[in-house]
Amino acid sequence: MPIWNRRDECYDADERLQQQMERLQSALNRAYNVPFYRNHFARHGVEPTVVESIEDLSRIPFIEPCHFSENYPYGLFAVPLRDIVRIHTARGNGPLPVVSGYTKKDLLIWRELVARALTAAGVSSTDILQVELDPGLANWGRDYKDGAESVGAGVIPMTTLPPEKQLMILKDYKTSVLVTSASGAEQLVYHLFRANLNPNELALKTLILVGDAPGDNVRGNLEEQLHVRAWLHHGLNEVPGPTLGFECEERNGLHVSEDHFLIEVVNPDTGELVKAGEEGELVLTTLTTRAYPLIRFRTGDRVRLLHGACPCGRTLRRVEWLPHRSDDMMVIRGVKVYHKQIFHILTRELGFEPPLYRFMAVKQQMMEYLEVSLGVNESIFSDEIKEMQKLSQKLSDELSLEIGLPVAIRLKEQGSFT
Amino acid sequence: MEPGVFQEVRTMLRIRNLKCFYGRIRAVSGVSLSVRRGEIIALIGANGAGKSTLLNAICGLHPQWNGEILIEKQSLSGLKPPDIVKMGISLVPEGRMLFPPLSVIDNLKLGAYVRYRKKEHREIEGDLGTVLELFPVLKERMKQPAGMLSGGEQQMLAIGRALMARPRLLLLDEPSMGLAPFLVRLILDVLVQLKGQGMTVLLVEQNARAALQIADRGYVLENGKVILDGNASELLTDHDVKRAYLGKDYREFYEGRA
Repeated sequence: MPIWNRRDECYDADERLQQQMERLQSALNRAYNVPFYRNHFARHGVEPTVVESIEDLSRIPFIEPCHFSENYPYGLFAVPLRDIVRIHTARGNGPLPVVSGYTKKDLLIWRELVARALTAAGVSSTDILQVELDPGLANWGRDYKDGAESVGAGVIPMTTLPPEKQLMILKDYKTSVLVTSASGAEQLVYHLFRANLNPNELALKTLILVGDAPGDNVRGNLEEQLHVRAWLHHGLNEVPGPTLGFECEERNGLHVSEDHFLIEVVNPDTGELVKAGEEGELVLTTLTTRAYPLIRFRTGDRVRLLHGACPCGRTLRRVEWLPHRSDDMMVIRGVKVYHKQIFHILTRELGFEPPLYRFMAVKQQMMEYLEVSLGVNESIFSDEIKEMQKLSQKLSDELSLEIGLPVAIRLKEQGSFT
Repeated sequence: MEPGVFQEVRTMLRIRNLKCFYGRIRAVSGVSLSVRRGEIIALIGANGAGKSTLLNAICGLHPQWNGEILIEKQSLSGLKPPDIVKMGISLVPEGRMLFPPLSVIDNLKLGAYVRYRKKEHREIEGDLGTVLELFPVLKERMKQPAGMLSGGEQQMLAIGRALMARPRLLLLDEPSMGLAPFLVRLILDVLVQLKGQGMTVLLVEQNARAALQIADRGYVLENGKVILDGNASELLTDHDVKRAYLGKDYREFYEGRA
């Protein structure tokens, strides 16, 4: 399988260390110009100059998801607004969204990172690539469009068409690569069989799964049902590139582009680095990002670093992403849903803190959605059914709008919560 | 970027976490950079950014440093300038530092002083011819005292003198200083020509635009720290480079932004 940027993806260990060290110091110096980082470092009694080796990075304090909403909207930008050419909004875990900005150079980097990942999956200029992601992953949809165009593939960008229409496009436009979430792909299979379509009638040969990590058998089932080869990608909301990690043909962990990111794995309780090969929380530092640097960002992702050379030739380290997390977040159809986020929306819409609520992912006809059960007390209760229906609809609409997923509200008696 | 053709990365100069001091004052604060064989690297920044100090540290002219400076994996720590010249590093210093009363040819020969000890007389004569071919104007003024040359000619002589040591790595400190634009172009063209012959060049310049036009990559220094690095073509259009070059304080942009 070809490699998009052989030089940068295959550096030897010594050169990689030098490159990371150079870029890390430069990234720290740039971040230090941002008042947030300057104050954050000062509170922990450090300056960028304490980092004299990659290991010294552990002397720099972490940043947490709460820092994004505290610095809403532009407080974490490291360049003047006139240098920003794109602004993305993603859901955070607080009342305010995460706003990230990109310079022209940042966009070129993201474009290349997606091109690397697609090339590793064998995508080329002979492919027609269709992006089908939920509206909550619209930022990733744009990145896939740009990256696929770099590779020279014909792109069918993200739309919000109903599944039947998506299937029609998939078949008639002879889509050969589909970018979607694992649950999105399962839904596609459901509609495919419902429409009595034979997978052989499709030109589809590659499935890129991003967002939610597929369960043990899900990938194999999808490959069998759709007659395709499936590849995993992984991304974060906060650095809205969908290809922080990507699989190569060995499919043994996801390569991380270490020329652009420095990764650490820490014990989520102590913040200390874990031993080689042990499971822990992924901590990410951006090395080349200009507009929106992240220095030791605790992602909440549970991972394990895989050691040993990959036969594909890339020297970028591989990471195994694990399904559980270190924070209060769950992933539905690739979209990240935070407990605090639901709490804030419910509080805002009700005008008071919800007395009791729960949420979960529910699957119906292979379509996954978010179900929020709200305990009804005297403040919420109305003897007019119409009022209760109106409230339920309002909450569903607001949650759906902000989270980017279909949401069902169930009003329940408080006593029925177990 | 298109799919690249694999090229082995061979690093000529590697600096890790370099700190340079003038007494208690730190002029360079933890700089890491690398120069690969056959590259032209531009080191740019405003006055006082630490560029010349860094070059002098490499050459052994500024011994108050710590960190790591490696030439093809050999450390330069504790070495004196003549040893460093013998290792194949030549400096074209700021202000040229020629010997004004001596003739052009004698200045050139002085550049080869470490080689005379090795009895490389025949090779030195050959190299003199090569340098004079590179700078034909010096051939015409071979017997004239260096002090009588124009600024551009003096710069050519300074580069020629450095080349007489047969360096693997050529360091230049502000070669465009005080020169008319057409002479700057001429000097930079010579550097491109040398790169074509396999020379590795680390170029310190305040004239960022000129330097980045011929460089492969660049590092931007501000207050003794690298704040940016990248391909020269990208840095050429970068706002931060302009600001760093002008020496303005970044913070006014960030704090005045809200």
